[in-house]
Formats: sequence, structure tokens, C-alpha cells
Amino acid sequence: MATTATFTLTSADIAGDPVNVSKTATCTKAGATTDLDQTTGLNRVHLRSTTNKVLLAANAEGNDLSAKVYIINKATDPTLYLTVTINAQTIGKLYAGDWMFIPWSQTDTSADIEVAATNWTASTGDIPVEYALFHEDTDFLTNA
Amino acid sequence: MATTTATITLASTDLLSDELALTTSATLTQAGTATGITQAAGLSRKTTTATADVTLFTAADYADNKADKVYIKVTNTEAARYVGIKLGSATVGRLYAGDWALIPWDGTANFIYAPGSTDEITVEYMMFHEG
Repeated sequence: MATTATFTLTSADIAGDPVNVSKTATCTKAGATTDLDQTTGLNRVHLRSTTNKVLLAANAEGNDLSAKVYIINKATDPTLYLTVTINAQTIGKLYAGDWMFIPWSQTDTSADIEVAATNWTASTGDIPVEYALFHEDTDFLTNA
Repeated sequence: MATTTATITLASTDLLSDELALTTSATLTQAGTATGITQAAGLSRKTTTATADVTLFTAADYADNKADKVYIKVTNTEAARYVGIKLGSATVGRLYAGDWALIPWDGTANFIYAPGSTDEITVEYMMFHEG
């Protein structure tokens, strides 16, 4: 059940020489070569909350098991961003078109992954967000 | 203006009963604009043989609330070796051998990794930032 994640980064002009990085990882269970075998599938929500909303609720059973989270901000207005938070700590901001792919240790039930459409207003329109979780925790049954 | 493009491809022919094939690209831009990000901490490599936290990027050295991105990969092949990614004191998750991540970073907490053991563990990393 191999799931691969390939990262490619290119730039011809951010440095004096071109930058080309390409790496592929096979998503495996923690500390093993066994493939991750569960996923939430690709989900889509339209976000308008300026305060944090739970996107993925941490499950204590998943503590330090392997999990990978993909999130993309599908807005096209470059000023619209998502603030992504874990355990009350802001990870960072995803501007229009930005994506992230991060590991997720559900260290405790406070380790929810939360998002906020921080600068949303009624005139900006909703922020479409797509996300997927790849994991090994058999008790992870719901998204939030 | 620099143009830097980050692409992810997620693929599986057997995780689901239908094929998974997702590819998306992002041009890395400065916060709130269509202007390309112009500064980089180029690809670097660090090897550890202790479990002490390693601060890759110190928040005080970078502006807050920008559109910075950090790439990090564990280059080991031994499956049990891992590093824990932390922002300040908050744990994000573990990267095991061969895993990589692209993480937005708002520069308000130090970007840290914690080697999972005293075995030799090597990470490669780079950051794109706004100063």
C-alpha cells in the first residue's frame, strides 16, 4: 500500500545558481518500513472563521504514531491567508495557493490542528481549504 | 523578483480502491502579495549523535508573521531513526528516515528539531524567507 510523497523545488533566480531539489518519500508507519494504510481522503471546506477551528482533532491513541498532513489554501486572492496552529502554537501562514506537508504527532488531545481565516471579512469571500491525512492510527475515525 | 516553485505529488495505486494522484504547485510569494519570495537559507546538512534539541532557525533573527517556508528531510535509511519537529515548545510531529516536510513558519517561535536517539541522524534543510 505504498503512498509516495514527492517534493520538487525549483528556482532559476533566487540564488546565483539554479536551485533544483527533488525528493520522494514513501509514507511508512513509525519506525518501520511498513506502508501507511489509512487516509481521510482529500477533503474540502470553505473557511470564514477568523478564530481557530479544528481541522483535525488529535487522538491520544495516535501519540507518536506516524501521520502526515497535507493542507492547501485554494484561494486566489494573494492577500487571503490561513493561520495554521497546533497545540496553541502558530505553525505558520498559508497564503493563496500555498500548501504544506507536515508530520503530525498527536502528543495529547491538545494537539489538534486548527486553522483560521484570519483576515476574512464578509467582502473577501470564503477561503477554500483542501486537506488530507495519511496515518496509521486505527482509532482515528473522524476528522473533527 | 525571484520565482521559486514548490510542487508536491502524492501518489498511490493501492492505498484506496481507486488510484490517488495529486499534484499541485505553489509559487512562493511574500506575505499578502504576488511578489516572489527573494531570500533563502540554502540547502544545508547537519548530523547529530545526541538527543539535545537543535535550533535550526532562531525566531529573533527573522521578521514575524511572514510567508516563510522551511523544507526539512531526514536522509537516513534506517527506519527507526527520526527527529521530532518543534516550534518553540510545541511538538509538531516526527520525521522518520526518508521523510520530508514543507512547513510554513511565521517566525514567532524557534524552529527546532530533536533527534530521536544518539544514533547518527542527518537532516537536510533550507528556508525561504522575507528577512
